[in-house]
Amino acid sequence: MNLPEYTVMTLIGMVVVIVLELLVVRSGIFRRAQYWAALGICLFFQCLVDGWLTKLSNPIVLYNPDEFSGIRFPFDIPIEDFGFGFAMITAVLMLWQRRLNRRSPVAEAADESRADVAGADVAGAGTEEAGNR
Amino acid sequence: MSAYEYLLLMGACVLITLPLELLFQARVYRRWKSALWAIVPVVLVFSVWDVVAIARDHWHYNERFVTGIRLGDLPLEELVFFLVIPLCALLSYEAVGTVLTALRSRWRTGSARSAEGAHGDAAQSHETQQAHEEGRR
Repeated sequence: MNLPEYTVMTLIGMVVVIVLELLVVRSGIFRRAQYWAALGICLFFQCLVDGWLTKLSNPIVLYNPDEFSGIRFPFDIPIEDFGFGFAMITAVLMLWQRRLNRRSPVAEAADESRADVAGADVAGAGTEEAGNR
Repeated sequence: MSAYEYLLLMGACVLITLPLELLFQARVYRRWKSALWAIVPVVLVFSVWDVVAIARDHWHYNERFVTGIRLGDLPLEELVFFLVIPLCALLSYEAVGTVLTALRSRWRTGSARSAEGAHGDAAQSHETQQAHEEGRR
């Protein structure tokens, strides 16, 4: 089996980010609907932005056909780009969420029991800002 | 103008996500230091990936649509990309958080109201919310 290099780097990137989140950063984003919804939204908009960057009729970024799978979907987007996007988005969200968890444990507690506490965002917001000062 | 096409696309991403900060209370720009703590490591790691990918000819850029400005081997546009896209991701994440919180509050208020025997008016449920909030502190 001889996988193209971009394909390999993408798979490694995805695995590294997942392992970092589960074993090192442990922000808990994978347990949040908030993360999965935001990821879905980001991947949808990636189709538009990346579609524009990679469109074969007038590409801004040109891919070496020997270094990726050759599968372009949707539009002309090399599918590896979505792994790249997943890794980048997940990395930034896990670092952000870890910082929120650390800076304001009260806001985090309120967050986790959002279903019990109406207006938790208001309470959390106050705490967060107090923590920032 | 076309030399700025990539940068303009990134500018469009910033503009399109601005309402998330202003209308959906994402509060990412307001917490810019926290945002930088999350974004900067990602910029560094993915810039290295980009430089390696360019060096190993995984991809290259159409000279017509980029400024040609480079920081070492990294095109300016890619640096901007690694700043803008994570920023958009944070704005989306926080905006989703705002919406989910609102939905859950509404759902809870609704179920509390029916448990009270349907005579909890809006003011009363608001008081209930405040009581919960105070209890939290």
